This record gives sequence, structure tokens and C-alpha cells, in this order.
Amino acid sequence: MIDKTIDRSLRWLDDRLGIAKGGRTLLDKIFPDHWSFMLGEIALYSFVVLLATGVFVSLYYIPSAHEIVYHGSYVPLRGQRVSEAYASSVGLSFDVKSGLLMRQAHHWAADIFLGSIAVHMARVFFTGAFRKPREFNWIVGVSMLILGIVNGFLGYSLPDDLVSGTGIRIAYSIIESIPLVGSYLGTFLFGGNYPGNGVIIPRFYILHVLIVPLLLIGLLAAHLGLLVKQKHTQFKGKGKTEHNVVGTPMFPTFIAKTTGFLFMTTAVLFLLGGLAQINPIWQFGQYEPYQISYAVQPDWYMGWLDGALRIMPSWEWVGWGHTIPLEVFLPAVIFPGLIFNIFIVWPFIESRHTKDLAYHNLLDRPRDRPLRTAAGVAMLTLLFMVFFASSTDVLANFFQVPLVAVLWFFRIAVIVAPVIAAVVAYKICNEMRAAEGIGKRKRPQIVTRSSTGEYSTTDAEPRPGDGVEELDAIPVPTYIDLVPPELATGAGVRRVMR
Amino acid sequence: MSDDAPRLEGPLPPAALDDPHLQPYAKHPERAQAVAAVAMVVGFLGFIGFGVAYWVGDNTQWEAVTLGGGLLALGFGVTAWGKYLMPQGPFEEERHEFHSTEAEREAMTAAVTERGGMVLKRRKLLGGLFALGSTAMGIVLLFPLLRSLGPKPGNTLFETNWKKNSQLVTVDGRAVHVDDLDVGGVLTVFPKGFTGSSQDQVILIRLAQLGPLDPPLVIYPPGRTDWGVQGYVAYSKMCTHLGCPVGLYQEQTQQLVCPCHQSIFNVQSGAIPEFGPAPRPLPQLPLTADSVGNLRAQNGFNQAVGPGFWERP
Amino acid sequence: MRSLFRARFAAPAALVGCVGFVGLLAFSPNAAPAGVAVTTTLPTLTTTATTAAPLAQPTQSVSGALNYAAPSNQTGLFYAQLPQAFVAPGEALFAANCASCHGPAGLGTNLGPNLQGLGAGTVDFWVSTGRMPLANSSVQATRKPPRFNRLQTLEISAWVQSLTPGQGTQVPIVNTNNADLEAGNTLFTLNCAACHTITGAGDALAGGAYAPSLHLATPVQTVEAIRSGPGNMPHFSVGNITNTQARDIAAYVDGVIQHPVNRGGFGLGGIGPVGEGFVGLLIGVGALMLVCFWIGDRT
Repeated sequence: MIDKTIDRSLRWLDDRLGIAKGGRTLLDKIFPDHWSFMLGEIALYSFVVLLATGVFVSLYYIPSAHEIVYHGSYVPLRGQRVSEAYASSVGLSFDVKSGLLMRQAHHWAADIFLGSIAVHMARVFFTGAFRKPREFNWIVGVSMLILGIVNGFLGYSLPDDLVSGTGIRIAYSIIESIPLVGSYLGTFLFGGNYPGNGVIIPRFYILHVLIVPLLLIGLLAAHLGLLVKQKHTQFKGKGKTEHNVVGTPMFPTFIAKTTGFLFMTTAVLFLLGGLAQINPIWQFGQYEPYQISYAVQPDWYMGWLDGALRIMPSWEWVGWGHTIPLEVFLPAVIFPGLIFNIFIVWPFIESRHTKDLAYHNLLDRPRDRPLRTAAGVAMLTLLFMVFFASSTDVLANFFQVPLVAVLWFFRIAVIVAPVIAAVVAYKICNEMRAAEGIGKRKRPQIVTRSSTGEYSTTDAEPRPGDGVEELDAIPVPTYIDLVPPELATGAGVRRVMR
Repeated sequence: MSDDAPRLEGPLPPAALDDPHLQPYAKHPERAQAVAAVAMVVGFLGFIGFGVAYWVGDNTQWEAVTLGGGLLALGFGVTAWGKYLMPQGPFEEERHEFHSTEAEREAMTAAVTERGGMVLKRRKLLGGLFALGSTAMGIVLLFPLLRSLGPKPGNTLFETNWKKNSQLVTVDGRAVHVDDLDVGGVLTVFPKGFTGSSQDQVILIRLAQLGPLDPPLVIYPPGRTDWGVQGYVAYSKMCTHLGCPVGLYQEQTQQLVCPCHQSIFNVQSGAIPEFGPAPRPLPQLPLTADSVGNLRAQNGFNQAVGPGFWERP
Repeated sequence: MRSLFRARFAAPAALVGCVGFVGLLAFSPNAAPAGVAVTTTLPTLTTTATTAAPLAQPTQSVSGALNYAAPSNQTGLFYAQLPQAFVAPGEALFAANCASCHGPAGLGTNLGPNLQGLGAGTVDFWVSTGRMPLANSSVQATRKPPRFNRLQTLEISAWVQSLTPGQGTQVPIVNTNNADLEAGNTLFTLNCAACHTITGAGDALAGGAYAPSLHLATPVQTVEAIRSGPGNMPHFSVGNITNTQARDIAAYVDGVIQHPVNRGGFGLGGIGPVGEGFVGLLIGVGALMLVCFWIGDRT
């Protein structure tokens, strides 16, 4: 009965949209089973949560710098003059049911969105998944990373609390540091010299909720569309070639797994959102340009820029009646520009270097490409070092060492550590390649000595997973013979789809 | 969808129900089903719990535990269903080169170069004029896009509201008297009428307990000795690195530290930077005291306050 | 199947779990394991007479000797005159415990500074926070359980005060009953947060020094620190922060800083995005990666 209805509906739709053939192909799309292919899904589902929770919080947030007197439930603020933006953010946290849960889940989702992008990107890089024909998708991905960081910063700034206001102040000074046009860009964007005429919060708001998300959604569609068009890469293995994809089909297995994963990702974000407090703006208070708290850091994905600013020596250039604040311009504008450009052009640098113009659908193991792996490890080490440098004060306090010593440590480590890490990574790759069968499970052997002193070896008991032979892959069957004669009694008909 | 996948066109033989590829992945499907079922029941209860938590009270933790727990359990159940009970495979699909044939590529190139070239080469004037017009459009559209956003910086980056004889007031607007601070005291002050202004924030520190008739405290660099009064000195509170308020005063070591990026300024020597990324000393505000003992500025700052920018000489 | 699950996942799961848990503990204020968790209601921010208790609790003789009935004036803060009877026992305690560094007359030696003119409040701060007697000569004295009880501390303070009568910081008596928390909040942000951080967690200063955490400071100690400026801390005179304002700050530290409204869950130590990034990446992304391992596993 239900089957008949489905059949009729599909025919009706196919008459008008012609979906049957393409739809069937999509349902048969094969997803490789390897766990590392799901890292991007963390980002995708965090983005879904970001959109959902973002819609919720945007219903209560008021993007206005207009000053009002706070009268909400948080007692230590009552009677203070605060901006509507701040008051509505605190109100969302205290006076809207489930508001704090949504706000915190939104914030955690942003942190984890970017964290999973970083992990996903590292996987794609180290396995060489960016190679021809997937250079575009790599660039689309890097663009989404950049936009994600930008939107994270914009959203972080909206509550107008003391900590985020300090971040906006720093952003203004970074814009101001650009030679020739910096001070103009700054006053244009802020509507005057800092703090401007109150337009920055509404402007950040429209960027945060409309413009950047639209770009992100467009890029995301392109990212997934290219993925379907070009099909997944896969690791080498039994029956896996450059000309096929082996794994589980979209329907029903992958759909079930990934729906579950969507739920579980959402679960982690909401569990963090209600159990681990993030950005308690009511403690921070309204931002005023003459107030500051120590231990102010940006969110983690901006940390590497803050760290670069901290360890940069004070190399201001002055001459011919002009000033170039290189101590700001280099670490905060040139440095990230350089990093992102390296990311974007890497596929082309590599293919030029290797003179490799072939299609690649099978992935590399990192050890098999020691140079690329070493380069990636060097880049990661550099970024980790500047990232940790953004918490020099917290580290100095935690480990009870002088602040200046910590800063000097990072100034040196930023240069030395990537070199060391690259050399070590290169050597490890080569060592691993030299050793046969490394990383594979080996069946242990038992050596026995008989009473006469003779030694003999026998295989140990097989452990779970030993000797499991993967079947040969077959195409997804078009039809399943649901009722074979020997089972025609009616029992077990649904066994397959149980 | 010009997939030349024959297996979609021609019917494959129907797969038998006992095909090993269609068997569940779990060795004991009943057990796996029980686990998934329990998880889904827990998920159901979690969502009910969230409804209750929402209506009963406004507790973020209970909301998170119930909603997150529900999502986690239901998600686990669905995933387990997919992982353990659905056809284990493996299945494969063929990968087809998706680039076009050589003939199609040539046709595309020809369409662009020949057809387009024919038109453009004959009508160079129109092509040029259209390019000119659209470039002009692009440029003039930048004006409203950028220029309407805000005013030009003008002199605002160089000016503060500190003028000759400006009175020092606290953030509440209270006048600051020479007796107000003890040695080692620190206070954020503004010119009267401009409390809370970013550009005008000044940090006032008392370095010595001196009366009006005592010789002035020697502060460095030379030439600025009379910029203090009765042991007071005042510096712009905006860091010369990125404009954060330099609010961290270490009294024993006589240092001002910027809480943002830890630039360290020497209070006794004209706030020259001792360490960190800040390139310049904090501009100093020359002080004086009026007849009733209220602190005033001798003059405004002799330079732009805050971080560096291109127009700064 | 099940044992395989253990083998493949137990190690990374345990690793992530342990690191995460240790991290949570490390970042949770006062290393209080459980109590941090679920604070849902606003704390009763009207601190009651208990705040005056530090002076009262230890022995009956203290409260008998001191007439410290809650101040009737609006400031809620006044300074105690320590009784003359404290001086003699204080001198004995000083000679036994302090004189080796500060000299028998408190004039200082090359081991310790001159104490004359500092006043009873300064001495009370250093001794009652356990910073004195000094445990070792590091850059900065650290807070530890005090060596002397309340009475002994006040006796030592009284003796040091008797060297220079009327000078220096006196021992305050703080009644936070009618304190204005909003004023305390504003004043704290302007005057204290730049060093102690907005949550009072403390942070590293230049030269190996640090601004200590405020999570254990009593109202009396807070006011004494404001007035006397221990170590690298600036001095805030009455002309800078009035007695009423000092009372408000003490109430804010006692009420809000030490009992923050952690409506959102674990406070993560109040150190902001450093702790949050740690949790988000290790626990958030880490947990989801474990789920990936499980879903993708096909052995």
C-alpha cells in the first residue's frame, strides 16, 4: 500500500521534474567508511546548529549602541547605563527561557565549527586530497575557513561587553595601521575616529547575520556540489582503485549514520552549551573605552593573530613625515594574508614542484609524501606556537615564570620550532617507509621450548578482528529479491532492512 | 546526468536476500537492535525531560542535560541502526571522468573565440566604449559604497580635548585635588566635560609626596621636570601599540603594563617602552595646580595619542 | 566485538577524558570539584552581618575588646582603634616571629623592610593572608594559611601601630549590609580588573610578579589592600576611593567575584577564551572525533 503511494508520487514528480534517474544515482552515491571522512561533517552540522541557534538569539538581540539603564535580573548591573546591545544580550542570558542555552550553544558551535574545519583541512592536506581535480574545492574550503573566522569575530563583538569591546578597539587600530589608507578605512567603517558614532555594532550585525552567512551558504553549496560531482577520494585498500569508490551507499546506511551524527554533534554542542559556561558577559560588564580587564584573549581561532601581535618586536617605521606601524601591520595584516595565500596556492605549488598533472582519487598516506608532510607539520607548528603565544600572561601565571621569559621563549620558538618539527617529521616519514608492514596488525606467535630443548612457533589465538576478510565490493543492487521462495512463509521478509 | 553507467540502465540481476553484502554488520543483530532501541527510548525520555525542564523552571543545566542527552541517545540509536543493522556492503560505484570529450572542448573554444572574435574584432569601438562605461560604473559605485560610510579622519586622530588649563576630573566628573592621591596612587582622569572619552583618557600617578613649595620631582627625560606637579605625573592611557587602556600600574617597579599585549612602560622615565610591541612612549600630559589646589593641564598633548598611523609624522 | 571496542577506543577515550577532566579541575576556581557546577539562582547578594565576622569569630576576647558594633553611619566602614592591651603580647609575638627580618624595633634589616609608619591594617593584611611570615624569598609572597589566629594577628598589628601612633593604614571594620553592588561593580572594573582580571582570577605581571586571585580575600583584607597597596599594588587613598566606595568594592569581591553567577555551567576558572578554547577543542572536537572513530570503524 505505502509502496504504491510512493511509486505514484515519484511518477508524478518525475513527470514534472525528471528526478528519477538523478535521484536514484544520488541514493546510490557511495561514501567511504573511513572515520577521517566524517571530520568535515562535524563542521557541516556545527554550521546547521549555528544557523538554528543564531536565528533564535537574533530574535532577542538588539543591535544598537543606544544607551539605556539596565533593569534586568542581574543585580550587580541594575541601574548601570549600558548599550541596548549589551542589555539585550544579558537579557537573553537571564530573562529569556532557554536563552542562555541557545546563546552558549551558538558560541560553542562557532568554536567547534572552526576547530573541526581545521582538523578536516589537516586531513585533506596530509592525505593529498586537494590534488587535481579538487583544487577548486580546496580553495572553496579555505575561503570558508576565512569567512568563518571573520564571522566568529563579528559575532563575538556583538554583545558590546568589556572583553569584546577591547577586541573591536584592537581591530580598529589594526585597520589604522595599513599604510596610506588605514586611517580613512577606520573612520569610514566606524563613522569617525574610534569609537565612532555608534554605527559599528549595527554594521557588524548585518555582516554577521546576513552577508557573511550568505557567502558561507553559497560556498558550502559549492563545496558539497563539487563533492558530489567529483565523488569522494578514498584510501588505498582492497578493491579500491582510481576508477571506483568503495563504501556504503547514501540510502539507507549513510543517511542513518549521518543523521545520527547530526544528532550527536548537536548533542555535544548543547551539552557544552548548558554545562560549560562560555563568555559570561554579565560578569564582564558594559564596554567603556577607558576600562580594561587583564587576561583578555580573543576566541581561540583568532588567538594566532593575537599571539603574533604579542611576540612582534616594536619595529615602527618612521620617515618622510609618515609612520608605518610595522609592529601591527606585519603580524596582523601581512602575516595572516601570507598564511591564507600559502593555503590557497599550495595545490599549484605542489603540482608544479612534482610535475604531477594526473587525476588523483586515491589518497596518499602522509609518510609516503615526506616533503609535504614536513611542510604541513612546519605550518601547524608555526600556527600552534603563535596560538599559544596569545596566552603568554595566562601561561606565565599558571607556571609561575616571568612574563618576559615566556614572551622570549615564543619569539624564539616561533622560528626554531617549525624547523625542528619539519626535520623530525621528514625523518619519521622516511623511517616509517623503510620499515615493512609498520602500523599493520600482526598476529602474535607463541614460541615454545620442548623438553628436549627444541623451539617451535605457533600462531597465537586469533584476536577479534584478526583474519576478517572484507568482501569484494559490488554495485548497489537495483532490486532486492525480498521474498525468495524458501522464505515465502512470511517470516523474515523485512530482515534486510531491520 | 549523462552518466554512462550501464548498471543503472540495464537491470542487474536482483540481489538475493541472503547475499552476504546485504547482511547486517552485527554478529548478533538482536542484541544490536536492543541497544539501539534502548538508546532511542532514552532519547525520547530526554526530550520529554526537556519539555518538563522548560516548563518547570529556567535552569540552563537541566535544559542542556535533557536536550543534549536526548539528542545524544537518539543519535546514537540511529547511528547504531545504520552501522550494525543495515546492509554491511561493501558496495562500489564507478568513477567516470567528468571532463568533456576533446570534440566538445574544441567546440566550446570555437564558440568563444570565433563567434565572439568575429563580433568584437569588427566592432572594436563598441567593445571599447562598453568597457569604458562599465569601468566608470564600477569606480563610481565605489563612492557610495565606501565614502558614504563615514567621515574622513581629518584632524581627529591628532586632536584631544586636553587644552591649556583643562581641569582634571574623574570619571564621575569630580575635580581632582592635589591632596587626593597618596604616593603610589593611580587614577583615571579626563578633561572636564569629556568624561569617558576614549581619546582623552589619562592615567594620573603620584610618585612622591611633595608640597607646593618643595622642589619639583625630577622626571626624565630632562626638560620635562616641570611637567609634573607636587609629585604627580600624567600619561595618555591609550597604549601606543593598539590603543588598549594601559591600566595596569605596578607600584614597586614603577611600570605601566598594557593588559592586552603586555607592553611595559617605565613611569619614571617618561613612559618609554621597556619591553613588548609598543613602539613609542605614552604621550605625557604636562600638569599644574590652580590656586585652590585642583590639578589642571598646562597644555594639551604635544603629539597624537594612541597607536601609529600613516599620517603621523 | 566488545573487547575490540575496548582495545581500539579505550585508550584515546581515556586520554581525552583525563586531559579534559584535569583541565576542568585546573581551571575551576578554588579547585572545588563539584560545587562549581549548577548555580541557577542569583546569589543573595545582600551579604549580611557575617561579613564582619572575621574580626569577631576567633575568640570572645577580640569582640569584647573591640567595640565593633556595625557602623551606624552610611559608609559602612570605619577603622578600629586596637586596644592598648594588645600591644604587650604583640611585642612578644613580634620578637619571636618577625624581628629576625624586620628588626626588634621594626626598623627593618637587609632581610625585611622597615615597618614603621605602615599601620596596623597593613600588618593585619600581610599576616592574616598568611603572606607573613615569609615561607621563602621568591619574587612575591604568596597567600597561604595564616600562622597566627585572629587575636594574635591583631596583637602584632597593634604593636606595630604603637610604634607610630596614628600613621598608616588602620584595621577596617566593614559592614557590607547596605553596600551598593552596582557601584562596586563599576569601581572594580575601573580600578581592579586591569590587574586582577574582571573575574578576580589574577594574572602575571611584569618582572615575575603577579596579581593574586581574589577568591579568598575577606572584605577586611580587600579594604586593607586597597588602602595600603601591598607589593606592586597601587595605594588608593580616601581622596581616590572613598570609604563608601571601598566598602562597595569589598562587597562586590565578597559577593560577586567569590560567588559568581555561573548560570551557564562550569565557570572554567574565569580565565576567558583560553579555558574555553581548551574545552572546545579537546572536549568538543575531541569527543566528536571519537564518535567519528566509532562510526567509521569496520574491523
